[in-house]
Amino acid sequence: MTPLREAVTLPALFLTVTLLGAIRIGAPIAIEPPTQFSLVLAMLLLGVLVQSGTLVGARLMHGARTPLANLNGLVLLLCAFAASAQTLSLITPDEGLPAVVVGFVLLAMLVQMLAVSLDRQRLLRGLMVMLGVAFVLKFIVLAALSSPASGRVSRALQVLFDNVTLGVVTQPPLAPANGYLAFATLMLYLFGLSRLPHADWRMVRVGHDRLPPAPGRAQLSDQVARRRG
Amino acid sequence: MRETAVRAVGLALALTYAAFIGWLFVSRPQNVSQITGGLAASIGAYQVDARHFEDGLRFFRNEQFVEARAAFGRADPAQRDARTQFYIAYSFYRQGWGRAFHDDALYEQGLAAVDRAIALAPGGRLVIDDDPNLLMHSADELRAELDAGREFQASDLNPLRLFTRRK
Repeated sequence: MTPLREAVTLPALFLTVTLLGAIRIGAPIAIEPPTQFSLVLAMLLLGVLVQSGTLVGARLMHGARTPLANLNGLVLLLCAFAASAQTLSLITPDEGLPAVVVGFVLLAMLVQMLAVSLDRQRLLRGLMVMLGVAFVLKFIVLAALSSPASGRVSRALQVLFDNVTLGVVTQPPLAPANGYLAFATLMLYLFGLSRLPHADWRMVRVGHDRLPPAPGRAQLSDQVARRRG
Repeated sequence: MRETAVRAVGLALALTYAAFIGWLFVSRPQNVSQITGGLAASIGAYQVDARHFEDGLRFFRNEQFVEARAAFGRADPAQRDARTQFYIAYSFYRQGWGRAFHDDALYEQGLAAVDRAIALAPGGRLVIDDDPNLLMHSADELRAELDAGREFQASDLNPLRLFTRRK
């Protein structure tokens, strides 16, 4: 990774994600910092990124690097953390039952990603799907259910829906521009993740017949003894 | 050498950008004027528009409180001037004051404005002693009056209340 990308481009990109993810367009404009729960989710997400090789911490902070380079690495890590927290906060519905359910599902998915140990390529694909589904739910489905009804029939259906669900599903109305801004933010965030310093390994699928024979216990002991000796 | 320069500039840029975002999170501006005004105030370059402020004062003294607030709002679009915010709060108080009851919604907005004024005043102390039209000269008095007016107390049932005077 070039110094320009590490010190300028990626921190600026992740900070832009943090800024755009906090803006709620409306009258008046609101600035929403990440929620406390999204900070916890972001810590998990950073863990998943490191485990999958999407982010190699040793390429950002290491004893062999200069103090200034290490400081750049630290800043990049913090910016990636802030952007992750803001993105997760952005795709979580604002209130009610959907906020609880989406928060729990995000937590479950991140823990699952940690458990299954994905590689970089699969993790990025998985994250794209996870963020995309949450985006559709919040900015298309829930926004449609919560937007002010235009006609009498749709208003009646909305009132009926509110009564059936006891009003726990409906969200505060969102200006349409918020959806476009959120989409751009998510794309920017995923692009930033794909540009992080990553590991060279990846998982491959190989049939049993193509695998080299597994070493026996005696062979393994010999290899260990040779390394130690 | 070039790499060190790039890294140093990148670090400075990232810290400045992060500080700006942190400031946005803390101050939560609601429009662009509040952002620009807040940034100008942070370097001591913010100034209230004197002409609009004078308009606001004139409306305020003529009991045209809605017009006064509009003019004060134009004078201090970023809500960074303690004196202007004090007058906005005072206009909410006078408009919401009633002999028999007070308008809680207006008092609520007045309380928010006087809290802004107190937060902006140096050391939280704000005294306007050059305006004889006012009967309360300090933000603390105004705040106490607005706060008490929102609550229903036993003294509200006292018929002598009808003879109280608006400050």
